[in-house]
Amino acid sequence: MKLISLSALLLVIFLGVLFIYVAEDIPDFGDPNSPPNRYVNLSITVDAAGLVDDLNKGVIPESLMDKIEERGLPLPSGVEKIKEGEWDAIIIPEEKHYYPKEQKYYFIKKEGAKLWVYRYAPIIRYIEEGHHETEVPNMVTYILADYRGYDTLGEVTVIFTAGVGVILLLRRREKRPEAR
Amino acid sequence: MNSENSEAGESRERGGDVIVETVARLMVPFIQLFALYVIIHGAGGPGGGFQGGVIFAASFVLLVIAFGIVNAGDRFPEAVNTAFFSLGVYIYAGVGLLCIIMGFLYFGVPDAQYLNYGFIPLTAHFEENRALGMDLVEIGIGITVMAVITSIFFNLVWKRESEEGGEEG
Repeated sequence: MKLISLSALLLVIFLGVLFIYVAEDIPDFGDPNSPPNRYVNLSITVDAAGLVDDLNKGVIPESLMDKIEERGLPLPSGVEKIKEGEWDAIIIPEEKHYYPKEQKYYFIKKEGAKLWVYRYAPIIRYIEEGHHETEVPNMVTYILADYRGYDTLGEVTVIFTAGVGVILLLRRREKRPEAR
Repeated sequence: MNSENSEAGESRERGGDVIVETVARLMVPFIQLFALYVIIHGAGGPGGGFQGGVIFAASFVLLVIAFGIVNAGDRFPEAVNTAFFSLGVYIYAGVGLLCIIMGFLYFGVPDAQYLNYGFIPLTAHFEENRALGMDLVEIGIGITVMAVITSIFFNLVWKRESEEGGEEG
């Protein structure tokens, strides 16, 4: 018994220390450039030497294409310069029937002598394109009811289940006051 | 002690004050109108099915407070309420299914997505179809939330009333 509680205490202390150690890497609250809010690092990197001019001209260098293909990710069809050392790579999504518009997919950044490839978080598309894609001005509504429609369907089902549970537990048909 | 209890119980059953009853009778339609506004306005501003459904249920709660559970319960048949439970979920899921069906029949797309409202041919534009499909879905959410909140409140009050009645008897 004592051994169990002692080991439990040690486990809790270990997990606490582990959490403090990991907490270093958690992005700041409200940081607009944190991975869930902006882009995820894909760990694809190539030497920047000689490639910057290609990217500025709107051509994606072969070496970068090869690296992306190696990972099995969709290949970009074009690149746009945002500012010095940062580019958006465009893909044409496979949603062929209803939204075949180009969208920005990768974010390429020059850090030191290397180019790093990031993947834009889906929220970027919701924020920037959602208004044009759904004709609804309210961002909360179009994310919850349209992009996250399955989630909201589940929420409604949870509420439905709660109601059924209350009926099963509390409804007493024979004890209604109106029967008296 | 006992007589006070029974008096309170009686006044709750009869309905209470004239002022309370009149104000409640006046307020309820406006609360319900506001609830419908919140549900429909969900696409254009703050609001949505969940909030509107709760406001709608609040109007029935006000009825129970003002008129007592017996009178208010007569106005709100529970069998219909229970049907509303599933009606809302059916509307939501049905709109999702309608997307697949209409996508196949109307647009001729064999792999239309579930809950992609653009395939419901309400207007000529894919984007506006999505906006209108969202409204349909919000109505479904509102119906379910309204029915569930009302049912929870009614059942809780009925339970207490029947327990008090048991003490009296």
